[in-house]
Parts: sequence; structure tokens; C-alpha cells
Amino acid sequence: MIEKGKISAFQMGVMMYPTIFATAILSLPSIIAVQAGRDMWLSPIWASTIGFLAVCIAYQLHKLYPKETIVEYSVHLVGRIVGKIMGLMFIFFYMHLNGFIIREYGEFVVGNFFVKTPIIVVIGSMVIVCAFAVRGGVEVLGRCAQIFVPIVIILILLIVFLLSPDLKPIQIYPIMEHGVKPSLMGAVVPSDWFSEFIVISFLLPYLTDREKGMKWGMISVFAVMLTMVLSNMTALFLFGINTVGFRYPVMVAARYISLANFLEHLESIVMAIWIVGAFVKISVFYYVIVLGTAQWLKLTDYRPIVWPVGFLLVLFSVWVAPNVQEMTRVVGTSIPFYLLSMQVAVPTLLLFIAFIQKKFRKKGRAKG
Amino acid sequence: MKWAAILGITVILVLMAMYEWPKMDKKMKKEKSAFVAITIIGWLLAMLLVFFPDMPGPTQLVDAIYKPLGKLLEK
Repeated sequence: MIEKGKISAFQMGVMMYPTIFATAILSLPSIIAVQAGRDMWLSPIWASTIGFLAVCIAYQLHKLYPKETIVEYSVHLVGRIVGKIMGLMFIFFYMHLNGFIIREYGEFVVGNFFVKTPIIVVIGSMVIVCAFAVRGGVEVLGRCAQIFVPIVIILILLIVFLLSPDLKPIQIYPIMEHGVKPSLMGAVVPSDWFSEFIVISFLLPYLTDREKGMKWGMISVFAVMLTMVLSNMTALFLFGINTVGFRYPVMVAARYISLANFLEHLESIVMAIWIVGAFVKISVFYYVIVLGTAQWLKLTDYRPIVWPVGFLLVLFSVWVAPNVQEMTRVVGTSIPFYLLSMQVAVPTLLLFIAFIQKKFRKKGRAKG
Repeated sequence: MKWAAILGITVILVLMAMYEWPKMDKKMKKEKSAFVAITIIGWLLAMLLVFFPDMPGPTQLVDAIYKPLGKLLEK
């Protein structure tokens, strides 16, 4: 095995939490609100079914090939050539996706805080930090997440707590004014965030307590769902239907906090949440790409390719979109379906093939 | 300006190689070739992006494929 480190199932769950949630907290409420309107707090609940499904698929495939990741067992399942193409597709897909994530991080930091800094500096420094974490292996990533996630959760709750005097829960009514459809349509975009849970198929082989992998995966999905509902509700209670107009509603909400003319400018807290979360998110996807590439090429060690892959990631983050408007448009329209088909449809197909093969093998054995 | 960008990119890649190369074993031939291959791909892509910053990328491909479905979400 390439990766010699081990993490616990709990660490995996903790690691997945910011991996899904980090980019969702800022831009997602307004993207959902476009479709769902006042029912935007319902959409993450519908969308989380995709998350539970993804964890189930990953775990079932993991049970069939306990020591391998999706890049390795796709070769066993669909044959050498198709399997290799599939592996390459996954690596390229995650590179593209991570390019999006890094770009989103860079655009947010440059757009809100470092207005005069070139975006490539912000992106480059983040990728360098992540590269050191990835070189350390899965254990280092697990421990980073374990240290950072409690801080992130406390800060999110702090923001909501400080906003609570200004929240108007009456905004929630009327619930389901136009039926279930708007909230379901609003669930399409967050469901692509939840489909990212298929990433655990790269982490499951390195767990010390594998049987708990499913449990902690599910808990992680549930935690992400709760946090999304919380952030959407905060945005809804504060801005009502006007959430649509803000690119980063939670950010604007944090700027709005002013307690006794003393506690002000709390957007730095949102910045802290964002950077810590984005660090874990980018590192996890980066690790997946590096590990996948090393397994695809059958290398004995993945560390030598960490830096070249990091350089490619910086290039991809520049390449994904010409400007931030175009990026927001693509993320709100065609990217969700791309993510769903790569992260849900393809693994489901693999699982289906695996079950058929298992049946035929049993029949063959009974005959022979 | 473009030549400066090329010089900068090349310097970064050389620094990267100088950092990583001594850490690899003599036996790790495959790793070395993978390192060189990915670095060269990165260099070529960087050159393309320096000269054609508006070059269509994977996003345009994805957008073209999933446009009919994406229209469902447009408002």
C-alpha cells in the first residue's frame, strides 16, 4: 500500500465535515434562494439524501475491495483499459473540481479583504501550505482537521449567537407557499456538495476501525446538513427573500453585527472560518488527486508528485473560469449535474457491475 | 511581460525540482519519470495559458455537455 498512515473513523468524519461545508457556507444560501425562495432552509434536508447515498455506495464498494481505492478497484471491476480510463477521468475530475474550489477561495479573499493583492499570490500561498500538509500524509490531514473543526464550529455558533437579536423567525412563513417543487429545485445545487462524500472511498482503506466508517460518514453528512440548515436559516431570518441579492450572505450578516458599539467588524471571524475550512477542503481533494495519480501510475510513493500536482492545481484554478461572474453562473447551472454524474452515477454503475459479477461468480462456483 | 512570466514559471519549476530531486531514492525510476512528466505537462499548460489566457478549458466542455440540464436551473 502506498499510504502507510492510519486514521480513525472519527477523524475521517471530522475531516469530511469541512471538506463539504467549507465552500458551502458563503455562496450557497443565495444560490439556493434563487430557486427555493423562502423554503431555502428545506433544500439542504432534501439534498442530504444524496450524501447518505454517496456514503452507502462508497462503503458497499469498500466492503468488496477493503484495501483499495476507487482508482484501483475500477480496474478490477470493468477491465484494465476501461478501468484505467475511468481512473484518469476521476483524477482529472478532481483536479478540475479542486481548481474550482481554489479559485472560489481566491476570489473570496481578494474580493473582500486583499483588494490589491494579485489573486495568484493568494492562490499560490494556499496551495503551498496545502502541499506541505499533503506531503505529511493522511494522518497529518486527519489531525489538522481534528484541531481546526472544533474552532470552526464554535465560530459559526458565535456568529449565529451574536446575530440572534436581529433575527426575525417570522420570515419563515409561509412554509411551502408554492408546494414542494421550489425547495426540491433548490436542492439540486447543494446536492452536488453532498455528492462530494464519495471522497471517503479514498479514505476508507486507511481506517483503523473500518466497521465504524459507515457510522461516522453518516454522522458527518448529518452534521453538514444541520450546519447548512443553520446558515440558510440565519440568512433567511436576517434578509428574508432578499438573500438572493448577496453573493456572500453570511459575510454580509457578519458585517452587520454591532453589539453596544463595541463588538463590530466581525467579518474577520467569517474569514477565519473560511480560511481554515478551505485549507482542509483543498488539502483533502489535493490528497485524493495525488493518491489517485500515484495509484493510477502504480508508484511506490506519492510524495514525489505532490509539488508538480500542486503546480497543475494552480494552473487549473486560473483555467476554470475567465471571471467570477462566469464561475458563479456555471456553478449554479451545469456544474451540479457534472458533479452528480461523476460522483453518484459512475460509482452507482460500478457498484451495480460489482453485484452482477459477484452473482455470476457464485453461479460459476456452484456449477464447477 | 510575457517573457517575464515564462521566466518566472520556469524558475518556480526548477526550484521545485531542486527541492524534490535529492529526496528521491536512486531506485525510484518510475517516480522520477512521473515527476518529470507531470512537471512538463504543467510547464506546457502554463505556456499555453500565458499566451492564450482565454483558451477554452474543461469548464467549457462540461458546460456544453450539460447545458440542456443546466437550463432547468436558470431563472
